[in-house]
Amino acid sequence: MPRIACLLVPDLPVAAACRATPELTGLPFALSEGTGPHARVVAASPAARARGVQPGRHSLAQARALAADLVVRPRDPTVERSALQALAHVAASLASRIEPVADGAVFLDAQGATHLVESEAALATALVARAARVGLAARAGIGTSMTVARLAAARATDGTLVVPAGTECGFLAPLPLTCLAPPADLLATLERWGVRRLGDLARLPIAEVAARLGPPGAMLVRRARGEDERPLAPVSLAGLVEEGISLEYPLDNLEPLLFVLRGMIERALARLGLEGIGCARLGLTLRLDDRRRDERLLALAAPTRDVRTILTCLRVDLEARPPSAAIEHVTLTAHPERVRAAQLGLFHPAGPSPERLATTLARLAALCGTERVGTPAVVDSHRPGAAAVAPFVLPGARGLPEQRAPESGGRLVVRAFRPPRPVEVFCDRDRPDFLRGEGLGGRVVAVAGPWRLVGEWWSESPFARDYYDLELSDGGLYRCYREQAAGQWFVDGVYD
Amino acid sequence: MSMSSAAALLDRLGRPGDVRLGVAHPEAVPRLATGLPALDVALGGGIPRGRITELAGPRSAGRTGLAAAVAASATRAGETIAWVDAEDALDPAAVAAAGIALARLLWVRPRGVADALRAAEILLGAGGFGLVLLDTDSVSADSGKRAWPRLARAAERTRSALLVVARRRAAGTFAALGLELGARRVRWTGGPGRLVLLEGIEASLTVARSRLGKLGQSLVVRQACA
Repeated sequence: MPRIACLLVPDLPVAAACRATPELTGLPFALSEGTGPHARVVAASPAARARGVQPGRHSLAQARALAADLVVRPRDPTVERSALQALAHVAASLASRIEPVADGAVFLDAQGATHLVESEAALATALVARAARVGLAARAGIGTSMTVARLAAARATDGTLVVPAGTECGFLAPLPLTCLAPPADLLATLERWGVRRLGDLARLPIAEVAARLGPPGAMLVRRARGEDERPLAPVSLAGLVEEGISLEYPLDNLEPLLFVLRGMIERALARLGLEGIGCARLGLTLRLDDRRRDERLLALAAPTRDVRTILTCLRVDLEARPPSAAIEHVTLTAHPERVRAAQLGLFHPAGPSPERLATTLARLAALCGTERVGTPAVVDSHRPGAAAVAPFVLPGARGLPEQRAPESGGRLVVRAFRPPRPVEVFCDRDRPDFLRGEGLGGRVVAVAGPWRLVGEWWSESPFARDYYDLELSDGGLYRCYREQAAGQWFVDGVYD
Repeated sequence: MSMSSAAALLDRLGRPGDVRLGVAHPEAVPRLATGLPALDVALGGGIPRGRITELAGPRSAGRTGLAAAVAASATRAGETIAWVDAEDALDPAAVAAAGIALARLLWVRPRGVADALRAAEILLGAGGFGLVLLDTDSVSADSGKRAWPRLARAAERTRSALLVVARRRAAGTFAALGLELGARRVRWTGGPGRLVLLEGIEASLTVARSRLGKLGQSLVVRQACA
């Protein structure tokens, strides 16, 4: 006997609007479709309904007449799609076989989650709690079929309802026919027959009902008995986490845009947090009011779930490359990636934890730039001072070769000047005698060299230089070179 | 319990109101070895963890070489370290030759002193870095006035050693240890008519500030060319 769970958000458009704009929670607001006198109310919050606003029946003008303080927002399919995806992510965090349905319900195979939770009641509670983490007030029901699970979720007054196996008939029997949303003509016929409860319908012979009402009638009888028309059809979720929003009016300022982005990032990261993973790259698509699109992809230094870090990265990028026009629509795509794990050694220092390190790297990248944070890498080149940066990855405790024993004294190290500083050198009998340049200069006290370095003649940037070590009267000990071709002098480092 | 045994117990544990002066044992500060035995002896085991250490000296006095020696010692011990390089002056080949395991080194190149101080604070706050090295020539007492208390607190909380390498000491009372490199002699090999090579330098190192040990100790540090 299968066990199916249903995670249901009763009024998805309203819940999605509250999720995207938390300030709307508790207010009498309505979502509208259409413009001008044809605008109609398609969804209304409980407070608006309490004032008499009926979605699908009232026009926007009628709704405003009923409730003077009504807040009206245009219906945003992007926000609803994001909310439904978030609900699917909640289900996917606890089960591998899930099926999202467009009207705000997600079915999942409850048997596949028995190793994660101790009971079905705990599963339902966990689903509701996780939905709350992504900003959705959901209900959960569990039964032997999708029909039973959905009806249980719809009637879960305290958020969860589990219908134990074998008690479906007792659960379904007192429910009204309308809960299965039958076609109006079918409902009218059944009411004429005196069939008002699911229990009454379930007792009718299917063949007789099918002979009189056709296949829709037979299907309704099966559903009244708690049987499904089809089995669960699991789908695989896309790896990307997407959050979108259409703005009420075009934004042409960075601060309000960042305010909107913060909420979207929080929602996207809450979804990633369900699976304990981080965001490695962030896609931002801005639809501009000149009908163009601004698409950008931010690579983070390491997977992270730190809102402030990601927001800082976005701020830096938007400040560096501002959009060409005001923004009408924003879509944020988080590319998930597992936070890097590290094997600790028993006799080695623990080092930074992967999660903290990821956040730290991302914050540093936001502060300094991604290309300015990493592990120094020695470049395969004979050009002095050549350097590169590689992404920093925590080495394992045994991941490094044995290092040689320390020498008795220290090693004199060159501090590089990037780029090399051009200097003016006065020579005496081809030996440098006096040097002056930006931030340095003086009489040459001692000199060693030259050493000729020629390399990369096969590439577009060959070098041919004569290197000198110079001790100047200013106290500095410099590494200088003269370009053979141009005869120009440069200081590319100081011994320190 | 008899009166005599109760009195003996009080003698052993101390009577209420007894204040024993001069018997408090301060918590020993763990040290990070510098890799230079003579300096370790002078400092009582190395630079203190969870504290700010300053290494100051003029250009070409060997402060980067000394910092690289401390960093190399830390990576040899398996520590993960960070080098905040405000001047963008680190030469990977040179520090690798000095013994630093590059795979254990996080190189951060901020643009300016303010960002460098902020980067150091982020790294110290993250925890797990055995040594955070702040290499900046431009830092001053004024520019870091507000940062030093935060850096000191962050270092103390996460037990990371912060080594500030600069021209002059700037952390003031927030530094637990201040080392100053002074008089320097450049050693050259060869002579007239022979090939001249830079052999290395010798510089005097003085413990100019210490809240954890003796002040005024001095030693000569020798650094050889690669």
